[in-house]
This record gives sequence, C-alpha cells and structure tokens, in this order.
Amino acid sequence: MIRAEELVLRYPGAAEPAVRGITFDAPAGRITAIVGPNGSGKSTIVRGLLGRMVPERGRLVLDGADVAVLARRDVAARVAVVPQREEPAFPMEVRDFIALGRYPHGGAFAGRTAADRAAVARAVALADVGPFLGRRTDALSGGEWQRVRIARALAQGGRALVLDEPTTFLDIAHEMAVFELLDTLAREGMGVLLVSHQLNLVARFADRMVLLHHGVIAAAGTPAEVMRGDVLERVYEWPLVVARDPAVGAPVLVPLRGRGTR
Amino acid sequence: MTARHWWLLLLALALAVMAGLAGGSVPLSPVEVWRALGGAGDAHAISIVQGLRLPRVALALVVGAGLAASGSALQATLRNPLAEPYLLGVSGGAAVGAVLSVVLGLSSPGLLPLAAFGGATLAVLLVLLVARAAGAQADPRVLLMAGVVVGAFCNAAIMVALATAPENTVRGALWWMMGSVGDAQWHGVRWIALYVALGIALLVWWGRDLDVLALGEDAAASLGLDVERATRRIYLAASLLAAATVAGAGLIGFVGLMVPAIARALGARTTRQTVVAASIAGAALVVAADLVARTVLRPAELPLGAVTALIGVPFFLWRLRSAR
Amino acid sequence: MSAQRQIIARSSSLAVGLALAVAALGACATAEPTAGRILTIDDFGDTVRLASGAPATRIVSLNPVTTELLFALGAGDRLVGRTHWDLFPEAARAVHDVGDGMGPNVEAVLGRTPDLVVLYASESNRVAVAQLRAAGIATLTLRTDHVADLARIAPILGAAVGDSVRGVLVADTVNAALAAVRALPRASSPRQVLWHVWDAPLMTIGAGSYLSELLDIAGAANVFGDLAAPSPQVSMEEVARRDPYAILASPKSAATIRAHPGWQAVRAVREGRVLEVDTMLVGRPGVRMGEAARHLRRLILSDAPR
Repeated sequence: MIRAEELVLRYPGAAEPAVRGITFDAPAGRITAIVGPNGSGKSTIVRGLLGRMVPERGRLVLDGADVAVLARRDVAARVAVVPQREEPAFPMEVRDFIALGRYPHGGAFAGRTAADRAAVARAVALADVGPFLGRRTDALSGGEWQRVRIARALAQGGRALVLDEPTTFLDIAHEMAVFELLDTLAREGMGVLLVSHQLNLVARFADRMVLLHHGVIAAAGTPAEVMRGDVLERVYEWPLVVARDPAVGAPVLVPLRGRGTR
Repeated sequence: MTARHWWLLLLALALAVMAGLAGGSVPLSPVEVWRALGGAGDAHAISIVQGLRLPRVALALVVGAGLAASGSALQATLRNPLAEPYLLGVSGGAAVGAVLSVVLGLSSPGLLPLAAFGGATLAVLLVLLVARAAGAQADPRVLLMAGVVVGAFCNAAIMVALATAPENTVRGALWWMMGSVGDAQWHGVRWIALYVALGIALLVWWGRDLDVLALGEDAAASLGLDVERATRRIYLAASLLAAATVAGAGLIGFVGLMVPAIARALGARTTRQTVVAASIAGAALVVAADLVARTVLRPAELPLGAVTALIGVPFFLWRLRSAR
Repeated sequence: MSAQRQIIARSSSLAVGLALAVAALGACATAEPTAGRILTIDDFGDTVRLASGAPATRIVSLNPVTTELLFALGAGDRLVGRTHWDLFPEAARAVHDVGDGMGPNVEAVLGRTPDLVVLYASESNRVAVAQLRAAGIATLTLRTDHVADLARIAPILGAAVGDSVRGVLVADTVNAALAAVRALPRASSPRQVLWHVWDAPLMTIGAGSYLSELLDIAGAANVFGDLAAPSPQVSMEEVARRDPYAILASPKSAATIRAHPGWQAVRAVREGRVLEVDTMLVGRPGVRMGEAARHLRRLILSDAPR
C-alpha cells in the first residue's frame, strides 16, 4: 500500500537530512509501525506523506503511484493521515466534522451524494462514534475525540491509514480501544501505518515494525525480531532489558534505573 | 441555521434600511419614504431621501456586508476568532494612501478612494512578502505578526505625513480616518457594491476550502488541500474586499471582528453559512450605526468608526465573560 | 590619602562644580524682562514691559490682524517678521516670512532679533510665549476673535509703537465704518445664510465667531447662529432642514458645492444661490471690517429693495 524507496527528506536549510535513504513497505491488511527515539525521523515521514515535504531523493509510493506526482486530492482520496494534534478553531458538530472527510471527492458545491452519505455511514460504524454525532467537538473526551478523528479519516474512503502518535494522551482503556480498532481495520483490508513511541503496545498489535535511528533503519521485521535488547539499547541509549510477558506472550521492554549516561 | 434565523436576519436588515431612510434631521414616516423613493410627494422629502439618504444607506449596507464577510473568512483562514481585516495591514495601508492624498492636495472624490485602495493593496502584499521572508507564508501566527509589523510601519508613515502637512489638511485627513458614509455618491457606491458582491461571492464559492482550513494546517493537508496556496488566495481576496470598503468609507472598526461571532451565535455552522449570515447582519449593523451617528448629537455628525467602536467595546467584554 | 580616595575626592569635586555651573546657567536662562516701563497686561495675563522704556523698533507680528494694524499705525517699516498668511497690505509681502502664527517656530522668530513679538491669544501659543520670555524678549499676546477686539487692541499697539493717539484714531475710523453699514436699512426678518467653512467634515460658522457678527452688521443672519461654538460641525441634512437663503463660500469651495450631487438636496444650491466671498477681505477682524461688511451686504442683499 505505502512504500518508501530510498527515501531522503531534508528540512530546508538543515546540514543533514532528517531521513537518510530508507526503504520500507506497509502492505494492505497489516499494521506496520515506525518506532524510534525523538529526532529519528518518524514524524518527518508523516510530513512527507502529507505533502509538506518534497523528497530530496527516492520516493514515496502509494498504491503504486508516486506521491510526488499525484495531485493532493488524489493522495487524500487514497490515504488518510491522522495528525498528532488537532484543535479546530471553531467547535462544530461531530457529524459535520466527519462529513468534511469527503472534501477530496467533491467540487466547490459538492452536495451530499449517495456515495458521500454511504462513506460517512460506514466510517461512523467502523469507528463506533454513532452516539456522538450530535455532540460538539469541544465536548468530547480525549478518547472520543481520537475515534472521531479516525472516523473522518475513514470517511475519506482510502484504503490506507496513517496515524502519527495516536494514543499519546490517552488512558489505558482508550489506548486499547484505538488499537483494537486499528486491528479491526487491518483485518478488513486497510493498510495501517503507525508512528508511535509506545513500544510495548505496538509490539502487541503490529505485524511489522521499523526501528529508526538518526534517519536510517536500525532494524525491521516482526516485533520479535526487532525487540532485541542489544539493538534497542544502542538506539535508545539507555540500559534496558527485553522480557517476554507471560500473560500475553508479547515482548516487553523494561528500562533499567541508575546506570544511564544521560 | 434554521430558516427562522435567516428570516430574522433579513427582517433586521429591512428594518434597518427603512429606519435609515426615514430617520435623520428631518424625520419622515415610512409612507413618505416610500412615496419619495418613487418620486412622488414633497420635493423637499424627495431630495433628502433620494439625494442624501439613499446613497448613504446603500454605502453603509455594502460596507457592512463586505467587512463582515471578510472577517468571517479571515477568522477561518487564520483559525483565530479574534482575527479581523484591519489586523493584516488593510487599515494602515489605506490610511497611508488616503492621508498622503489629502495632505498632497490630491483628494478629489475620485482620487481619494483610489489612493486608499492602492495603499491597502500595497500593505497587504507587503504582509505576504514579510511572511514569506520569514519562511512561513501560510502560518497564521506569522501572518498576524507580519500584519502588526506592517501596521506599525504605516502608523509611523501617517505620523510623519500629518506632522509635516499644511495645517488645513490635517483635519480632513483625520476625519477620513474616523470613518463616514457621508460622502456617498451613487457613482462611487455602484462600483464598490459591484466589487463587494464579487468578493463575497468568491468567499462563498471557496466555502468548503475555508471549512477545511479552519481545521488546522496538518488536518487540511491530510484532506488534500494545498494549504499554502489556499491561505494565500483567501487572505488576498478577503483583504482586498476589506480594502474596497475602506476606500469607500474610511476606517470602520469592529465590524469584521464582531459580526462573524454574532452569526455563529445565531447558529451558523459552516463557513459558507457564516459568511452569508454575517454579510446580512453586518449590513444591518452599519446602516443602524450610521443612523445613530447622524442623529444622536444633532446637528453634528459623529464619525461612524466611533459609533461601531463604542458598540464593540461592551461586545468584547461580553465575549470575554462568556468565554470563561 | 590613598590613590582610590584621591580619585573619589577629585571626581566628587568635579561633579559638584559641574552641577553649580549648570545651575548658574539655568538661572541666567530664566531671565525675564524685568526692566523697562510697563506697557500693559496682555490677554494671557502677562505683564508686558518694553526694554529701556522706548517704543518697539523691531517687531515680529504673528497675527494677520496685528500686521495690518501695525501698517495702519504707520509702523510698517518697523516690522521685521510676519506669518506666512499676512499678505495685506501689499507692503507686508516685503516683510520677512517666519512661518506659522499658531505654534510658531521660535528659533526663526529669535533669528530676527526682535524687541517685541506680538502673538495671537490661542492655547497653542502658550509654549512659544514662555520660550520667548525666557529668552528675554517682550511678548504681547492679544485676542482677535471678535469685531470689538480691533478697537480694543489698536490703542495698545499704538502705545507700543509710541503713538497712542494714532491708535485711538484707527479704532474710531473702523468703528465709524461699521456703524455706517449698521445704519443701512434692514429687513425685519433678515435673510438666513450658511457660511461654508470646510467639507469633510462639513463645518460652518457659529455664534462664537466674528464672521457671525459681521453677517449681523451686514443685515443678514447666520442660519446656525443658535450654535455657540465658533466653528461647529453639522450634517448636510440639518442644512437642508434649515433651508438657508444662500450659501457663502470661497470660490474654490463654491465650485465643489455646485458640482456635488449631495448638495442638491439644499434648496439654495438648486436655485443657484451659492455666493462667492472674498475670503482675504472677510477672513479676519482687521482694519477693513467696514469694507468687508459692505461686501457681504452687497452679495447677500443685492436683489433686495434698498
């Protein structure tokens, strides 16, 4: 679905590129997670997908088409990006908010066509936000707000979904709910690409992980392959151990105290 | 917004227009106004209604609609409920153009508005250039700061112009800056009306883009909008729309700031609804304000900008309280 | 004393010495003219003394009225400075122009080395008066707002130039000319006239201005004579409502009024009674007030039965 080929992304005026030639693949029907410490280039890749940065070299490919070549609207119709934070200046009703997800599909006066209504209904059902439709966006809890944003992204109608740090400010129940939703979406055939720093949760849900370090890939593969103590310690520059959680059988990262260099 | 709200707004506008045509130093009844409009009845009344009041009310209507629509669009684009056209260089630039033309003695009724419009346009472009030089042409905060910078520069230029101007021109320059529809003439009003109608139509056309922009830069980009281009074109359209109103009537503050909030309080949901509702409400407000300006301290005429500012201050306080 | 102490002691003495010197200079600078005989107490309440008691020989006049008056008193050759607007009589043009009369350029005035400066009694001249007096120059500040002011100040100026008798004579001549116009036949309900002063905002003359008095002397009436201010701002509608017989304006403003569609709402404009005034003649309550009153009477009452 989403593929990076030798991707190089540099911020204007920077001495070094933030992303230095990485190649990865986020296929349909799977959850792929990009992880790494702050400054490793994770969010830069999201900016590349948003069209806010043009690749210096290499390319981002979406469903077979080069993102740099497609019109923004066509990109938006194929992949929905849920940015890290969002705060609308003027609160609106949730149903209007979700309906804005159809923007890539209509002209200046696009009414609610049958296709639009169907797409919105499907998105509302998948994200399970039906009970909130009449509420205002400034009256939702953190978890509800996140699900509503995902609903809008789903309404865009694409088959790929990218999320930048989707559960950073959520409590356990909401975190799990969001990840369960992503899991469901992947089972339905969507390609889910996730940027997160919550390694343990990601390790339980992701099918593939890509570990970034200073703009290059330090490790890639299944969670079991990537979650190895020596690799993670080198990348995160902190002493840690990787244990196996007996309850669910997933790898768990445990940072150690006291002997760090930072 | 329900149909009832729309009818209420239109009714308010109709009442304001009627009051504006009937009220003044020579109070007339609605019947007399109606007959005078048709050219029948007392010659005195006809000349007052057709010659003096009709052009004023028409200009006030057009200016109010234009400023309110511009404010609605800018608040959505800059994602800030406190944004208004005057913050972004329009008022400063127009004032420089107008003051210079008055001070240099080139202030005929045809030249003054053109000078004001030219000054406003230059200031708006300057703001865009300053924002681009700062490297962030679409960032609302950078645009607002650039607007403050350009505004400060314009104020300095105005002070220099007024300090070195011949004494008998200073009064005229100051009067222009305080805003008035008293100089309305049909010829000029027609042009401004055309311009404002075009501007509002354009903003309505771009309504969906505005809705998406108001979500935030990243969200808008993820929905497929070219954020930089859209911000730039909407900012230009809204600012030039405001510039046209300033060229016609001087500086009339608070309308672009208050009226969009009123429209939203009445239930306008999408930006499109806000722009249209605000246009109607803004027109009614400025027509009413002009009536107050020319009757409350008879026989003198208050500057229109002073009346709208006096309404604006308690409005602001009310907003601050209800926001807590 | 240690080296450090020496430095402190030296710098302190230096500082004290400097302070004393500055204070001494300051004391010199505030010398006001305290010698010479008292001429009068002027309209700012200041005591006017001419240095060395002799009449003034180098006069700067910062008011068109006093400039005219000084020429009428035969003291025109003693004028060394006038304002930019003092263009009567013809000989005044030869006198050096020092700029504005309200908020004048004090340096330019001082550059003419006057022994008397005559100013107009407006609040904007307070600072200039203080600065001139601090420089030791005699200032005479006179109000010239009303018709009666000319007869009042003519003897004072006459005394300043050493010819009080002539001052009284000038006052009597002007008063006689005005009385002659007043005595002419007048209608029981005089024609109401609008005096147009400025366009944006629309300003006219109120009862507080000498022009309103002049209208009265000429046998007409000010349509806004009920307003006390000298130059109130009014709305066009109010003008239309009061329906004046005619409008008085400068030639340039008259052309604008005739061309402006908004003014057509006023009957006087529609019926072609926009009258062009000689603004140089009527513009100030000077020595030609009698002639000014006649001019107005001719303009306004030209078709009335004499």
